[in-house]
Amino acid sequence: MSFRLRLSLLFVATLIAVQIFTALLIYGVARRAFIAEGERQLSAGAAAVARQLDDISSRVADNVQVLSLDYALRAAIAQHDQSTVLSALRNHGRRIGAERMLLIGLDGAIRADTSGPVADGATFPFPDLADASLDRPAAAVVALDRKAYWMIVVPVYAPEPIALIAAGIPVDSPLLGRLQQLSALPNTIELVTDDGGGRWTDVARASETISLVAPLTTAGRALPLQPTVVRAGGREYVALATRLHESQRSAPVAVVLGYSLDDALRPYRGVALAWLSLVALGLGVGLIGSMLIARSVAQPIETLAATAHRVESGDYTPPALLHERGEIGQLAAAFANMTHAIAEREERIRHQALHDAVTGLPNRKAAETAIRQALGSASNASGALLMVGLARLPEIIQTMGHSICDRLMQDAGTRLRPFAGRGFVARATDAQFSVWLEGTGKADAIAIAFRILDALGVPYQEADLSIDTAPAIGIALHPQHGNEASALLRRAEVALIAALDSADPVAVYDPTTDPHRPERLTLMSDLREALDRNDLRLHYQPKLNLGDRRIDGVEALVRWNHPQRGSVPPETFVALAEKTGNIRRLTRWVLATSIAQAQEWAARGHLVRVALNLSARDLEDAELPRRVGDLLSLHGVSPRSIVCELTESAVMGEPETAVQVLKRLADLGIDLAIDDFGVGQSSFAYLRRLPVREIKIDRLFTQRLGEDLGDRTLVRSIVELGHRLGYRVTAEGVETRSAIEYLCDIGCDHAQGFYIARALPADAAETLFSRGVWDMTRSGARA
Amino acid sequence: MRAFRFVVRVLARCIPFGLAVHAFASELIVGLDDGHGKPAADAVVTLRKDGETQELHAPVTKVIDQREETFLPYVEIFRPGDAVVFRNSDRTRHHVYSFSAAKSFEFVIAPGDSTPPVTLDRPGEISVGCNIHDQMITHLVVSDAPWITRSDADGHALFEHLPPGTYELDVWHPQLRPGRPGPHRTLVVTDAPASLAFTLPLLPDPRQTGERNRY
Repeated sequence: MSFRLRLSLLFVATLIAVQIFTALLIYGVARRAFIAEGERQLSAGAAAVARQLDDISSRVADNVQVLSLDYALRAAIAQHDQSTVLSALRNHGRRIGAERMLLIGLDGAIRADTSGPVADGATFPFPDLADASLDRPAAAVVALDRKAYWMIVVPVYAPEPIALIAAGIPVDSPLLGRLQQLSALPNTIELVTDDGGGRWTDVARASETISLVAPLTTAGRALPLQPTVVRAGGREYVALATRLHESQRSAPVAVVLGYSLDDALRPYRGVALAWLSLVALGLGVGLIGSMLIARSVAQPIETLAATAHRVESGDYTPPALLHERGEIGQLAAAFANMTHAIAEREERIRHQALHDAVTGLPNRKAAETAIRQALGSASNASGALLMVGLARLPEIIQTMGHSICDRLMQDAGTRLRPFAGRGFVARATDAQFSVWLEGTGKADAIAIAFRILDALGVPYQEADLSIDTAPAIGIALHPQHGNEASALLRRAEVALIAALDSADPVAVYDPTTDPHRPERLTLMSDLREALDRNDLRLHYQPKLNLGDRRIDGVEALVRWNHPQRGSVPPETFVALAEKTGNIRRLTRWVLATSIAQAQEWAARGHLVRVALNLSARDLEDAELPRRVGDLLSLHGVSPRSIVCELTESAVMGEPETAVQVLKRLADLGIDLAIDDFGVGQSSFAYLRRLPVREIKIDRLFTQRLGEDLGDRTLVRSIVELGHRLGYRVTAEGVETRSAIEYLCDIGCDHAQGFYIARALPADAAETLFSRGVWDMTRSGARA
Repeated sequence: MRAFRFVVRVLARCIPFGLAVHAFASELIVGLDDGHGKPAADAVVTLRKDGETQELHAPVTKVIDQREETFLPYVEIFRPGDAVVFRNSDRTRHHVYSFSAAKSFEFVIAPGDSTPPVTLDRPGEISVGCNIHDQMITHLVVSDAPWITRSDADGHALFEHLPPGTYELDVWHPQLRPGRPGPHRTLVVTDAPASLAFTLPLLPDPRQTGERNRY
């Protein structure tokens, strides 16, 4: 819901609520006042009605009294002249407005009745009136045949009472109407009588068509003798009943007076109408006014909101409300200031994000963006990316600190600026600048590179310092070396590193020498997957015991048949595993697999020692001996069946942990062998400190053992020296018959090589174990 | 006279009502009041004794005077055979009439005139009024009872020299309510004087103009 609508609603609701409350209050007060007024009027009216009825009845009684004294009538009565009496009664009845005249004997018997013949033994129904009339003329309102009468009874004196005359004068609606008109009585007068069953019905009414008696006495209520509010015919009345002077023998008769609240309120209807009009007018004015006010408040806010949205999308145009006065104007001004500040800050951040603070040159990200744009705009255009590095920079930082380095880089940046005209110069890293030359081929790029080198070649001068920065430049070309900015940058960097390492200060990227090809990464993850899926295989290269000419050992070599690449050379992925920290997992797999295999063979009676290779990284793992011990005991394999092979480089200069690991392995009863012996810098003196039991002469010495006398001497010396120091000696890479014969001659313990057998799958190797004594004239490789 | 009245009152108070009925007296005083503590004058009290009738007497003529628009007296006792004469002592005319069963008549009497005697030969009560003046009324009581008397202004009716015996006592008053006879009592009279008291519920005096028509 918008602010405008809410404000308007609040206005309107408040106005309506206040007006309704006021109206209800006034109505309630007025109603109470009218009810009180009605009660007062009714109480007075009730007395007045009774008094007026009494007055009228007394006048009527006087009239009846007068006519009762008519001599002729008295004579007729005394002389029992019935027809004269009847006609005289009729005559006199007309005079006084009586509907019915009766002549009653002193004994109560009706002697004449103007309304019809008298039944035998009929008596006057109101003997109490008859009786009272002798004291004074009796008058009462009575109900007869559902009509109300004043029944007035007077004696006929002749001169003593001889009879009674009863005059029945109807108390009817016209009479009540006259009664009401002649006095200030309430507008509803109703004469009611109890019809015998306790039910009150009306017998006469003044003017009003509404009968109050029915609603008043619903549900068996008694007639209210106190003012009561009642609803009849959809209107409200204050009603009051008053009992009339009546004959004891008559049905009860009462007058119900009603004071119409609606009539009382009628004069105020005009006021109410005027009030309603005022409310409507106020409502309209309030609504329009609140809408206008709300709009004047909400519109600027909406404008500001729109401006905020614009700012969000990067449009910093100030809001068009600055001319506004008051809070909105202030807010708009603050808003404008804010957007201005944001714009400035954003510009600064953008600059910072894309520029180097030291040199003021664009940074690597900016360079990347620029190159990407260049590549994107002209996809087939050529280009060259020059990566300029300062070879001596690390040295300079270490010697002279960062601040001088910063100044130096600043100076270098300044020197590079002239080249910005031809290309995009950026500070790619702390120690490197990049120069993107669009539309430049290899030859031009190299030429420019040399010009840059000339510019940077002048030593940096500061105070008495003269620093030669030894700049070098690597070049990556588009499209030959990449179609992406990041790839070009990386490859230019690779080229730079090559240039820094070589004598030539300018190097163009050579993919073949790039040690950072991305495929290495995928190979590594493939290796992890292969380990997980057990895709690696162990092959076993038999070792021939030259003493008894039997195969009594194997070297376990890991093989990986990559699903896409085919067979991956072990040195590739083992080196990779070493670099990426996955060698321990590989070693663990090799340990578990080879020890399980040894157990399998032992179970089938093949007592062969399985040699496996440990990496230098494995020796950093203090847990390795325990793990090996666990595996051995798990498979029930004797430690003597296992030989751990280590390269010379792995054990040379290793820290104490490596020595500890080796000693603990030896303590388990595992023999240790030094692999590739002779090519490294290991010495027997050093080896003596280690629990080594075997040395393996590197293939470098054995391959030409048949013909090279030097090698023969060397090998014989190693074997002899080894034996003297207590080592077993194995010759690797035995590929010729002469070599193996020579080795036999000099007493070498074991021989291993293609001449005996290549590395074989476990089952193939197993067939060799059971072959018995080896025929030295037959090459296993050829077999 | 005052002392005597005092005695009667004392007697009436000392003797319980029940005993009074059986008291014997040669003299009987009947006390009458109108129920409002006022003495009831002009009440006619009659006594009858078994077997005894009125002693013979010569007929007399009594005059009912009309003075200041009033019949005087209000109640007059006649014996059958007596005659009545109405005399107009006023300066207006009077239209004297009676519709009573015992005797009905009608005379217009000029001022100063008298009517001829009217013989009342039948016992009964004759109400006489004046058609010109509503408040004028007199009652002629024609009775053959051996003992009859009219109460005085103090409401006393006195009987003297009553022979002992059993009597029937009746009280009549013009303002008794129509249809309701006056008190009737059987009593035994001895040598001792006796008294009786009755309360008569009387209607308003019709002679008092104005009261009759007012509420």
